[in-house]
Amino acid sequence: MEMHDEVRIEAPRARVYEALNDPAVLKQCIPGCEELIQHSDTELEVKVVLKIGPVKAKFGGNVTLDKSDAPERFSLAGEGSGGVAGFAKGGADVELVEDGDATLLRYTAKADVGGKIAQLGSRLIVSTANRLAGQFFKTFKETVEMENAATT
Amino acid sequence: MNEMTPPKTERAEALKGLGSSRKRVEDARFTQGKGNYVDDLKLPGMLFGDFVRSPYAHARVKSINADKAKALPGVVAVLTAADLAPLNLHWMPTLAGDKQMVLADGKVLFQGQEVAFVVAEDRYIAADAVELVEVEYEELPVVVDPFKAQADDAPVLREDLEGKMEGAHGARRHHNHIFTWEQGDKDATESVLGSADVVAEEMIYYHRTHPCPLETCGCVASMDKVNGKLTVHGTFQAPHAVRTVASLISGIAEHNIRIISPDIGGGFGNKVGVYPGYICSIVASIVTGVPVKWIEDRMENLMATAFARDYWMQGKISATKDGKITGLWCHTTADHGAFDACADPSKFPAGFMNICTGSYDIPTAYLAVDGVYTNKAPGGVAYRCSFRVTEAAYFIERMIEVLAIKLGMDAAELRAKNFIRKDQFPYQSALGWEYDSGDYHTAWEKALKAVDYDGLRKEQAERVEAFKRGETRKLLGIGLTHFTEIVGAGPVKNCDILGLGMFDSCEIRIHPTGSAIARLGTISQGQGHATTFAQILASEIGLPADDITIEEGDTDTAPYGLGTYGSRSTPVAGAATAMAGRKIRAKAQMIAAYLLEVHDDDVEWDVDRFVVKGAPERFKTMKEIAFASYNQAIPGVEPGLEAVSYYDPPNMTYPFGAYICVMEIDADTGEHEIRQFYALDDCGTRINPMIIEGQVHGGATEGYAIAMGQEIAYDDMGNVKTGTLMDFFLPTAWETPHYTTDHTVTPSPHHPIGAKGVGESPNVGSVPAFSNAVHDAFRAFGLVQSHMPHDQWRIWTVARDLGLHG
Repeated sequence: MEMHDEVRIEAPRARVYEALNDPAVLKQCIPGCEELIQHSDTELEVKVVLKIGPVKAKFGGNVTLDKSDAPERFSLAGEGSGGVAGFAKGGADVELVEDGDATLLRYTAKADVGGKIAQLGSRLIVSTANRLAGQFFKTFKETVEMENAATT
Repeated sequence: MNEMTPPKTERAEALKGLGSSRKRVEDARFTQGKGNYVDDLKLPGMLFGDFVRSPYAHARVKSINADKAKALPGVVAVLTAADLAPLNLHWMPTLAGDKQMVLADGKVLFQGQEVAFVVAEDRYIAADAVELVEVEYEELPVVVDPFKAQADDAPVLREDLEGKMEGAHGARRHHNHIFTWEQGDKDATESVLGSADVVAEEMIYYHRTHPCPLETCGCVASMDKVNGKLTVHGTFQAPHAVRTVASLISGIAEHNIRIISPDIGGGFGNKVGVYPGYICSIVASIVTGVPVKWIEDRMENLMATAFARDYWMQGKISATKDGKITGLWCHTTADHGAFDACADPSKFPAGFMNICTGSYDIPTAYLAVDGVYTNKAPGGVAYRCSFRVTEAAYFIERMIEVLAIKLGMDAAELRAKNFIRKDQFPYQSALGWEYDSGDYHTAWEKALKAVDYDGLRKEQAERVEAFKRGETRKLLGIGLTHFTEIVGAGPVKNCDILGLGMFDSCEIRIHPTGSAIARLGTISQGQGHATTFAQILASEIGLPADDITIEEGDTDTAPYGLGTYGSRSTPVAGAATAMAGRKIRAKAQMIAAYLLEVHDDDVEWDVDRFVVKGAPERFKTMKEIAFASYNQAIPGVEPGLEAVSYYDPPNMTYPFGAYICVMEIDADTGEHEIRQFYALDDCGTRINPMIIEGQVHGGATEGYAIAMGQEIAYDDMGNVKTGTLMDFFLPTAWETPHYTTDHTVTPSPHHPIGAKGVGESPNVGSVPAFSNAVHDAFRAFGLVQSHMPHDQWRIWTVARDLGLHG
């Protein structure tokens, strides 16, 4: 399944990029995130509680960041397991385009889920994934804009 | 005395024998919720088992850590393949000559595969413990497409078979190939096709679906360590076969195993196979010394125990210009999933798919079936059909329609032109069967007349014109089917499962006061055996059906038989019942003659008694004879009135039917409405017309589900997308159409009472009728083939692709 969207954030690109790399900001913005540990500059360990349809499960997984095209691009890939609930893997490519004082954030995310969560929630997965992605970027936008306003 | 004897017809009616729509004796308990199913069984100290299942369709199992699960209070044991290996039970033989993992041994091959078995004091603790078992997987590439599975670079699924180029059914030509099965004359067929006036070619897919009985599979295994006896109550369609197989693989002597099938809430083939849950429960009971219950939930049932169909049937059919069929060619790619666990007679790896010439006189034919492994659940059971007869019937009934389109001919006329004629029976088919009897033209004409076929075609033509003028958005489809089944497996000379001959049996004891008990080797799963077998017997021995108890399912008491599936109960065990009844009657005749002081040959049978020939006022009723048989010293005759018959049928039986479905389809929404469904069945002698009608309603409703929405669908990762009743279509009263039933009677010439079996006919016949109706609705707009299931989305897509959305 693939998702893509565009968000306009009222903050300069450098600021947006910085926030995308800030574990504290990420933890705040990832829906259901309970724990986020930074193991290195590009490796994160995440624990997330996910609810799709009737299945609610805690997923533990690792995320690898690719910052080679900073600050125009940023990509990440990860996979996680929710035990009997199943597993998920995926990635996202984020593009940051300067638009005056603001930044246009475009993303393409790809995700695959398997196991019980895929079976029980098959009809709900796409909508749930879109909702989660939307929720992440909405919170992210608000957080970054608020911080930006506070510091300028 | 003569005046006191009621007339024959009155006495016959009182027996409620053959032809009586006697009410089902089972329903008194079922309608009151007093059935006794396996999950109702509660034994002292009983533990509960539950499976850790694989979320992956293909992965290596790197480690299993059960420490946390074992530490949970109430957990008694966690079994893995490593625990079963010393007993050599980590793999088990399948009914198709393959083997299957009981618990994951190094890797998993389908989503939902059994990885570990948790045993706990109650099922809630077991479920909690399942979540605590930590399994580390390494993902492997997944193949869910049987064609891609045969590519050179396709991943090796069955590493245990690597390098083995000889399988249970001959040579394997690829690491994911199971067998090739060929029937008929390939060269002759290809030559006929090559020189034919007209050849129609099409790929016909019968999708993967599932029998989905309301009661899922389960068992209670109980090992008595004091007397060494293992008792297993379970959802078994073939309890005796389970006993023999259990003895062979466990090493426990067969007399020390008792298999009991209690009431079964629907089987439809799902309960023929042997599943890891049974083995694990038995092992767990042996290990713990207490009974262990395992009951699968709905998701487990749909994703792990025995699917049905999944046949890709490439067909070619040739004919003369005026529509006389000259040849049929079929190559089937059979997706068997991860293990070949089909429940077919051993010599028939694709079941009776070679009945695919159907009701037609096709002089030359060829069939080849390739079995293929994929990362899907194993199974391939006969879902309310006799071993791939549904696939065969769907194939030929679609090919006839495709040919009719190619010829520009009416499909009803094309059928009638090619039916095997009444005077051709017994008929030798090009693919090797001897059809015992039939009268297809009579049935067909009756069916066409009943629905006013010509009137319907006229209405359809007018509708097409109205649609083109934009006056309506609804199309009319007329779905025709004339199917011929092959049921009643079967003659021991060519039918066995794992070497067990497919005869069946009946044992009768008449009690002194003139009532009786009969036990059979079959097991009812809702078919009403306790009602119908008593009727067969009532007509044979002259005791009222109400006074005859029928008992099945306990291997310690019932005579040996191969069980109930493939519509074999009436053709085989029903025949045994009649034959055992005739043995009773033969002895009764000697007793009656003695009591009447005449020679054996001087008495004759009269409904419920023997009368002296020419002196009907002198008689002995069966009740009187029964009492005398036990309590009167008769020279040369041993006391008692009992008989047993083991019946090895000389041939299969060939029920047939004509089904017509009239369907309205909304081109814009893809919605459909069944306006009429007419089902004419010829099952030979009719034992209980009410039960036949019930069978037709039930089977046609399953057929409706299969044709119009029911499927086991997988995504590319091997996820089961239809693992719950939210997504797996089971019709309720809301969706179920109304049915009109009808019949003709062409008795089987070799069956003792002429019966042929009917339980599966409606599933076999209705699927092509529904599907042909969908196709027929779009025939005027150029549709030739569109794969099932015809759910709303797919029908809408058909209309869109034909450009009907404007």
